Amino acid sequence: MRKYKICGRGWVKKGACGFGNKGPVSQEYTDLRSMYAQLKEKGIFKFTVENFGRFDQPSKLAVITIALALHDAGLIYTKGKLQDVGIIGTSIAGSTEANLAYFKDYVEAGRTLGRGNLFIYTLASSPLAEAAIHFGLAGPLLFLGYGKNQKQNILEQAKFMIKTKEAKAMLAVELSENEAAGYFIQGR
Amino acid sequence: MSKINRVVITDYDLVTSYGLGINPLWDGLLLNKSALGRLDRFSTKQFLSSNAAVVSKLDYNKSESLVMQMLAPVIRKNISSIPDDALLILASTVGEIDLLEKDVLASRAQKSKTSPQAFLQKIEKLAKLKKPGIFVSCACASSSTAIAQGASLIRQGREDCVLIVAADSVNEFVFSGFSALMALDKDKARPFDKNRSGLSLGEAAGFVLLMSKDRAKREKRNMPVEVLGWGLSCDANHMTGPARDGNGLIRALTRALKLAKISQTDIGCISAHGTGTLYNDAMELKAFKQVFKNLPLPIYSVKGGTGHTLGSAGLLETLVALKALKEKIVPLTVGLENIDEQAIGWADISPRELKKDIVVINNCGFGGINAVLVIKR
Repeated sequence: MRKYKICGRGWVKKGACGFGNKGPVSQEYTDLRSMYAQLKEKGIFKFTVENFGRFDQPSKLAVITIALALHDAGLIYTKGKLQDVGIIGTSIAGSTEANLAYFKDYVEAGRTLGRGNLFIYTLASSPLAEAAIHFGLAGPLLFLGYGKNQKQNILEQAKFMIKTKEAKAMLAVELSENEAAGYFIQGR
Repeated sequence: MSKINRVVITDYDLVTSYGLGINPLWDGLLLNKSALGRLDRFSTKQFLSSNAAVVSKLDYNKSESLVMQMLAPVIRKNISSIPDDALLILASTVGEIDLLEKDVLASRAQKSKTSPQAFLQKIEKLAKLKKPGIFVSCACASSSTAIAQGASLIRQGREDCVLIVAADSVNEFVFSGFSALMALDKDKARPFDKNRSGLSLGEAAGFVLLMSKDRAKREKRNMPVEVLGWGLSCDANHMTGPARDGNGLIRALTRALKLAKISQTDIGCISAHGTGTLYNDAMELKAFKQVFKNLPLPIYSVKGGTGHTLGSAGLLETLVALKALKEKIVPLTVGLENIDEQAIGWADISPRELKKDIVVINNCGFGGINAVLVIKR
């Protein structure tokens, strides 16, 4: 019987982030932008994330968490190279915050024209798509919402998708308002 | 080795801008009749287009969301066909977004009203299901991905009955966003036309019941089609535009054909995503030509008639494909007048005879998400 292993873990909490079973990489970050800058300096990001500053909060959380999980797994990724890795994500709120941000901005601007760069984050799958673009994740990409047991459900789903050969490996990401946890899973 | 279950669609229904059920939609498409018309749900004078395809008699001012107004009659009408042990997979892009619109406009933005969970719980209750469901959101590939996931669970024996429900509405939120992205055709979408200039929005809601063939036989259900295969992929290229070379769709198509154990010669036609945007349609044609290297296959898009129904597009298009297999007709592409040079031999302005029993259904979404389904009569 095929076994599945979580080969890499990454996490972000307010003001701190880390990978694997080690303690925080640092606890001095004031926001996700500076967290990203410091992780880049430490070589956890292999190359610049295009437009990171324009990402919404869940997209920033997703990309940082995945970088940490892949670093923990020792997975090499290079710019422009696609890998047979899928990504699934879950959260309680989906894109509700982004939806509010877009529509409030549109209403405040007089209901004449929406802002495209806010609109693109109004899908629950958008943070996963930003991550797929940066890390070259060419497998299935889907947001899954569950009533409860979010983490357990996405880990099970990721294993199931490897078993059914949807992708060679999967990333599973659990997002909340200020926190994220990412898991890199492979079959063996 | 564990047993691989065959997956069939047993029951289905939907509401579209053509009316309730598959027949008005099918008849409209064959008559080259578009349901796109002037929208009066909200002011459109500031947007690129004033046209959309909407379901009649929906009331924006009701406390019930537009998607629930569409789904409630469809599910209630078919409740006796839906087993209470079915696993629900609910697919949508922005679900009950009109509730959020109303909250913002009334300065009472309450998060909980529009969460995926709240929508999911409403459908679980409406369909009287015992198990907790799953909400799937993958942009405009949401419902085809949901069907693929449901079929996969049945194939592997994890479930033997999965209810796929899909819905998305036409609302100011989405309309203003697509207008801001300059993605709307000023008039009506013309997929695969050489003068195409964008998509038109539409709304739809419906369900398909997937079952293992063994259970469907035991329960003496109709089995109009079998779900033979599926393929999911991501372009990993751009947030709103497809990979120009179609590489993501090529991978999804290749995976779906391999799982279905079929080749080009087995396929009767392709239900294309066919939004009517310059890049989507060109990308799809590139992918088709790469994968189907022999002769052109008949393709069609329904979106010049139904509008782009976003997360429900895959479900709607699966049901049109099911009807095409039943009637042995490849529908024409509504709105198509001057066939793009690249689409000659593929898309057509008239219905054609469907000569094989298999249809391939494509959907692509923001973030470069691709989903392909293969169904067989």
